[in-house]
Amino acid sequence: MLNEPSPPILDRRAFLQLCSALPFVQPRDLARLVPAGDDRVLLVLELVGGNDGLNTVIPVDDARYAAARPTLAAVRRGAHALGDGTALHPALGRLHRRVQDGQGAVLHGCGYPAPDRSHFRSRDIWHTAAPLLPRVDARTTGWLGRAAEQLAAATAGPPAVAVGGLEVPLLLRSERVAAPSVRRVEDFQWLSPATAAPIEAAAPVRRLVDGSGTRGGAVRDFVAATAQQAAALADQLTQALRGYRPRADHPATALGRDLQLAAQLTVAGFGTRLVHASLGGFDTHARQLATHAALLAQLDAALDAFLQDVAAHGAGDRLVVLVHSEFGRRVAENASQGTDHGAAAPVLVFGAVRGGVHGPVPDLQRLDDGDLVATTDFRCVYADLLQWLGVDAAAVLGGAFAPAGVAAPR
Amino acid sequence: MSDPLARWEPTARDPFDLAKVGHLLRRAGHGAPLRTRRELVRAGLDAALAFVAPPPAEAAPVDLLLREAIAFADADRVRAYRVWLVLQGAHPLRERTSCFWHDHFATGNQKVQDPRAMALQLATFDRLGLGCFDDLLRAMCRDPALLRWLDNDLNTARQPNENFARELFELFTLGRGAYGEADVREAARCFTGWHVRDGVFHLQPHLHDGGPKRLFGTHDVRDGDDVVAAVVARPESARFLARRWLQWFVHPEPDDADVAALAAVYERSGRDIGATLRTLLQSRLFFAAAAWRAKIKSPAEFVIGTVRLLGARAAPTELAVAMASLGETWLEPPSVEGWHRERAWLSPAAWLLRSNFVADLLAGRRGKLRPSPATWFAGVDGPAQQARAAVLLLLDGELDRDGQQHLEAVARAQAGAPPDIAAAAVLHAATCLPEYQLC
Repeated sequence: MLNEPSPPILDRRAFLQLCSALPFVQPRDLARLVPAGDDRVLLVLELVGGNDGLNTVIPVDDARYAAARPTLAAVRRGAHALGDGTALHPALGRLHRRVQDGQGAVLHGCGYPAPDRSHFRSRDIWHTAAPLLPRVDARTTGWLGRAAEQLAAATAGPPAVAVGGLEVPLLLRSERVAAPSVRRVEDFQWLSPATAAPIEAAAPVRRLVDGSGTRGGAVRDFVAATAQQAAALADQLTQALRGYRPRADHPATALGRDLQLAAQLTVAGFGTRLVHASLGGFDTHARQLATHAALLAQLDAALDAFLQDVAAHGAGDRLVVLVHSEFGRRVAENASQGTDHGAAAPVLVFGAVRGGVHGPVPDLQRLDDGDLVATTDFRCVYADLLQWLGVDAAAVLGGAFAPAGVAAPR
Repeated sequence: MSDPLARWEPTARDPFDLAKVGHLLRRAGHGAPLRTRRELVRAGLDAALAFVAPPPAEAAPVDLLLREAIAFADADRVRAYRVWLVLQGAHPLRERTSCFWHDHFATGNQKVQDPRAMALQLATFDRLGLGCFDDLLRAMCRDPALLRWLDNDLNTARQPNENFARELFELFTLGRGAYGEADVREAARCFTGWHVRDGVFHLQPHLHDGGPKRLFGTHDVRDGDDVVAAVVARPESARFLARRWLQWFVHPEPDDADVAALAAVYERSGRDIGATLRTLLQSRLFFAAAAWRAKIKSPAEFVIGTVRLLGARAAPTELAVAMASLGETWLEPPSVEGWHRERAWLSPAAWLLRSNFVADLLAGRRGKLRPSPATWFAGVDGPAQQARAAVLLLLDGELDRDGQQHLEAVARAQAGAPPDIAAAAVLHAATCLPEYQLC
C-alpha cells in the first residue's frame, strides 16, 4: 500500500487522523477543536496536456533559446521581465504584476527523476506523488486525497473538492474521504419527482439512502456512501454558499466559472481546504503560438479575478494557488511550429507566498536528450504547500522532502 | 482447474432467470423492457445471445438521421444519432461494442473539427467493430478523424511527428512497457505521408520515408500496414485487448489468468472480435458471482438504460445533453485515453444529477413517460407489492430485505397521493438504491 501514515503517537494530530477514518459528514462538532487560522485553502490549478514551460517563463536572454525555437521565440516580444534573465509570456500581464507585488512566485525547473513522456503516466505521477508506483488501480490514492484524510476530521464540509468536472481526478482520490466534484451550486439540490423541490431530510427516500449502509461488496458500499454524502452535501453546501456575492469580474470562460465557484468555496468558511481545477488544451504539437497565447490569456484573466475576489472577501492571506502541468515540452520546436512532450518546467504559485523568482534559471546547455533537467523535485513543492497547510507532509508524500520555500512562513 | 471461458450451463439451482437476462442485457447492450426480459427468460440463453447479437443485416443502410447529421456537419446531431441508435437497440452488442471502440480509439471533435469524419469513424466501428481486429486497426490507421486527432497529418519524412505512433502502441494495441522509444520512432516513420485531404485519407508518397525501419528489434517494416501486421501478432497485444474487454464486459479488475485465457481465445479465433466476445458472454466467468453488479453504470448506461427500462420517450438530443452533464459527452472524450470509468463516474455531485434526471423523467419534465408511472402499478395493491413491482421493473426482482423495507416505507408514505405521483415516488426511490447504479 502507498504511503500508509506512520503509527500515531497520541497527540492532537494523531487524534484527528484517527477521527478522519469516519466519513466527513459526521464529526461536525470536532470543528471546534481546530485552532483559528487553520482555514487555509490550497487551490491546485492544473494545465492539462503539458504546458510549454519555456514559452511561459521565457529565458529571453539565452541565445540557445532563440536558436532552438526559430518561430516560437517570437513570444519574447512583449514578454514581462522577471529580473533574472527570464520573462513571463506576453499574455500573463496580470499575473506578472502579482509576482512584482510579492503575491506571486515563479519556481524554475520542477520535475521528477527519469521523466516519462506519456501524458497519462506523467499526470499520474504528479497526482500520486509516487514516481515509482508501477500501476494505478482502483485503490491508488492521490496526494491531495491523502492530505484530505488528515484534514477531514477538522472540517464540517468536504475537505477537498474538484471544480469544473464531474470526474474526481486521481490527485483527490482517498480510501477514506470522498472528494465531490462540483460545477454549479444548483447541482447540489436533490429534487423530488413530484414537486422538483429539494427532498426533505425526514423524507422516507432519504432514510432509504441513509440506511443503504454497508452490506454488499466494495463497489456497492462505495455507491451507498457516495449517495449518503450526496444527500448530506445537498443540505450543507447550499446553506454555506447562500451568502456569497462575487467581488471581482470573473471572466465568462469555463475556467472563469470554475474559479468563481472555487472562490465561493474558499470564502464560504465551509471547511473546504483543498480545491482542484484544470484548464486543458496545452498539448500544442502544432501551430502553437496562437493556441498557447489564448490559453495563457484565459489563465491570466481567470486566476487574477479569482485572487482579487478572494482577497476582497478578506481571505487572501489564507490562500495559496499552485499552477502546474504534467510536464514541459521539448526545448527545440518541432517542424509543425509546435513542441513535443518534454520534461522539467516551472510552476507558478500565488497568494500567501514569498514573492519573486525561485530556483536557478534553466540551463539550456546541459540538456537530457533534448529536455530540460529538473532542478527541484515536485515533491519539494508539495512538501512546502502541505507544511503551509499544517498537514504532515512526510505522511502524505511517503518520505521527507525539503520544502521548496515558496509558501509564506507559517 | 476449470476453464473460466467454458460455456455456462443452467442448472435447477442456478437457472437462466430474470437476473441472468438482466445481467446479459446490461453488459452486452443497454438494457431492455421487462416484457422483453421475460420473453428471453422463457426462450433461454441461446435465444438471448441471438437477441443481443443478431446476424448482421446484409448491408447496413446509411440512415437518414446520419445523412442529415453529416449534411449539417453538426456534432450535436451526430451525438443525437448515436443515442437514437442505442435507444432503438436493434443490435445491442454492436452498439455496445461501438461504444467500447469509441472509448478505445477515443477521438475528440474539438480538435478534429469535422463532425462528418467523426460520424464516419463511429460508422466504421459499427461496420468492423465485431470483425477481425487486423481490419479494424488498418481502417483506424486510415481514419481521417483519428489521423487528424493525433497529428499524423503533420507527420512527414523530413519532420516526423510521433504522436500517432506512440498512442498506437500505448493506448490502442500494446500498453506501456511492451515497446521502446525506438519502436515509436520507427513506427512514426512508417506513417509519414499518411495524411488527410478534404476530409478523406490521402497517401502522399513524396512525404513518406522510404528508408529501412525495424520494429521490436526483429521486424523489418516499410509502411503503416506493416506496423499493423507486426503489432497485432504480438502476444502483448492479445493480452492488452483481452484485459480491456474483460474490464468493459465483466469486471473492472480482471484476474491475470482470465486475461490470459481470453487472449488465447482471441488468438485461436484468428483475432475475431465478435467470436471472442460471444465466447465471453456465454462463459462461466461472465455469469460468475464476482461479475454480478461489479461495475458502475456509465452515464450512457444510466441515462439510456433508465429510458429503456421505463419505456420513456425522450428526445435523443436531450438525452445526449443529460449524459454530457454527467461527464460523458460522446465525440468529446476527456483525452486520448478515453473516459475514466467506474468509480470516477460517481462523485456525490454526479449521483445527485443522476437522481434528478430520473425524477425529471418520471415527472414528465424531461421527455414523456409512456406508459405513465401509475401504469406499472395497475392491479398492484399495497406498499409491499408496489415495492416488489418497482424492484422487478428496475432491478430484475433482486433486492435484500432491508432495501425492500425502505422501499415499502416510501410507498406507504404515498398513501392517498394521486397514482402517478405515488408511483413516480416509489420508482424514483428504487433508483436511489445503490444496486441501481451498478451494471
